[in-house]
Amino acid sequence: MSIDFNTAAIVAIACWATGTLLGLLSVRTPALKLPGMVLSLAGSVVMIGFIAYYWALLDRPPLRTLGETRLWYAALIPLVGFLVEYRWKIGWLKYYCMALAGFFLCINMLHPEVFDKTLMPALQSPWFIPHVVVYLVGYVLLAASSVTALHNVYLQLRSKGNVTGESVSHYLALLGFVLLSFGLIFGALWAKEAWGHYWTWDPKETWAFLSWLAYLGYLHAYRYKIEQSKLQWYLALAFLVLLVCWFGVNYLPSAQNSVHTYTQS
Amino acid sequence: MVVVRRRWFQTPWEFRESALFTAVALFFGFVIEYATSGGGIALPRLPFNAIALSVFAILVLSIGLGFRNTPAVKWFGGIPLGLCLIVGISLLSLIGGILPQGTVVSASLPARLGIHKIFSGWPFALVVLLFLANLGLSLSWRLVPFKVQNVQFILFHAGFWIALSCAVFGSSDLQRLIVPVEEGKSGSLGYPMESDTPLQLPFSVFLHDFSLEEYPPQLLLYDPHSDKLMMNKSKATLEVRKGTTASWNGIEVLVLDYMPSALPGEGGIPQPADRSAGIPFAKVRIITGTTQREAWISTGSPTLRPDAAQLENLYLIMVPGTPKSFRSAVTVQDNQGNAVMANLEVNKPVNFNDWKLYQMGYDEKAGRWSKLSLIEVIRDPWLPAVYLGFFMIMAGNILFFWTGIKRKEVAS
Repeated sequence: MSIDFNTAAIVAIACWATGTLLGLLSVRTPALKLPGMVLSLAGSVVMIGFIAYYWALLDRPPLRTLGETRLWYAALIPLVGFLVEYRWKIGWLKYYCMALAGFFLCINMLHPEVFDKTLMPALQSPWFIPHVVVYLVGYVLLAASSVTALHNVYLQLRSKGNVTGESVSHYLALLGFVLLSFGLIFGALWAKEAWGHYWTWDPKETWAFLSWLAYLGYLHAYRYKIEQSKLQWYLALAFLVLLVCWFGVNYLPSAQNSVHTYTQS
Repeated sequence: MVVVRRRWFQTPWEFRESALFTAVALFFGFVIEYATSGGGIALPRLPFNAIALSVFAILVLSIGLGFRNTPAVKWFGGIPLGLCLIVGISLLSLIGGILPQGTVVSASLPARLGIHKIFSGWPFALVVLLFLANLGLSLSWRLVPFKVQNVQFILFHAGFWIALSCAVFGSSDLQRLIVPVEEGKSGSLGYPMESDTPLQLPFSVFLHDFSLEEYPPQLLLYDPHSDKLMMNKSKATLEVRKGTTASWNGIEVLVLDYMPSALPGEGGIPQPADRSAGIPFAKVRIITGTTQREAWISTGSPTLRPDAAQLENLYLIMVPGTPKSFRSAVTVQDNQGNAVMANLEVNKPVNFNDWKLYQMGYDEKAGRWSKLSLIEVIRDPWLPAVYLGFFMIMAGNILFFWTGIKRKEVAS
């Protein structure tokens, strides 16, 4: 099992790395642009293929453990980068995205997790897939928003104006917020069916609420016409709250009673 | 450009005044909490909470519409105060998200400040109430005069207002009780989570049958010296079935035969048995170095000793799989003669009158032989209002998404 994953991961990382290299070289040699793009895309295709294969092998969607969710991020984050390039002609984001995806795969290769087919009864729900997928896409968009904001901050420090970049980070945050709201409400509706109440201040819920508030705050600050350059810092750092929500919760004192701690055994 | 610094309380008020106001509200919240020894806030129940909420809503709306040009009211319904209150709620949630909640600590300072039940304490209630006032004021200005372009704003903000206010004001009417019932018996007493004094329910639950299905058992190596279970080399959970192979350092195991349900037979060879009585048995071949042997192992049950295979100072054992599903066949009946037969299962609750019944648990020591089922019964009269709020938020969000895209297309 782990051998299959390592092969897929190494092939994907190799695709992204060569794609990045060709992409960077294409500044001088435009003929390399197309093969670079094809290779970058191929990395994600390999990961999506692996997820499909893994799903079939497990007989359940691979969305239960942290390691499994990282597979999805690794496959999807580069796609956001490609979409942004396609839509707004901003080329640099995809390199950050591919690096982030490669990083996630490396974590998985260093910590192969237990391969477990079982799905506890509470997770056997029609809400399981929509809840997790909506969150996943939301996190992916917000990760991309945060990376864009970080790049904007870097440009600011070098005193370069960057209006398009600021609108990209804003737009990604907006989309991400919409998906976070859906994820939160889907989770509440599911919780009512599975655990009896829609909201119990479970640590994961509290942190999901906190991350939702963080972006709610951002959107209102944006609406109040706070300087965009200051908000780039905010967006870059807001993702830290999401990171705590995503896997930091497991290490907090409050986690002892959580229904959301991913299985670590 | 000369930067003119605003002085404190120079109109129009902005972030500084809002931050101070929020800090004062938090401070007072903690003072009241301390003065009441961390008892938290006790909300009235129906119909009084509904009356209080209606009065509050009417008050906020009339102030918003009657004094919409008064600077103080404008500030109270403005974004700066809204943002500061969001930060206030975030800070309290941060405490609630880091420190374990619900643990009862002695009469220490943190306990008196209520930081272990932050979400039912005074500071949270106060900040949420102010936030609802802020949100309500801004909403009133978008509601009157009504414009189609404000629909997205109204759906999202009114939805949030309704969901938050009804969840908070209605929390006193939420009843969650646990009904333990044994097979062939009925129960009509519900136990609250935090007390041992049962309450009489307006209905009874008769348990016909409790059944539990498990995932296939797993193979593990047990080291009695360190009292540790060892995972096999591939770190994968091994489901036992015919042909399964596993390896530990120097030990190879092959499952030759597998019976999901059997009982011990003559000469140590198990015989297939009915699912209600039988336990899983597996015939394994164990290869260590040059030696090879075969053995029957089993998971055991409350009445049958498990069979393990000894390998020098280690044991190859088979542990029962985790529960896949469990359900209770019940009849629920009230005094008026209404009765419903239902299968309660996790994720598949059943409605009865204005209650909802959930399969909650069972006797975990007995596992699938449990004769006891724990059923949770829940009544929440405010649920439809909260759900209305949820659906309005989602509708508002879809519009937000849509208009967001359209605006960007115009811009680009």
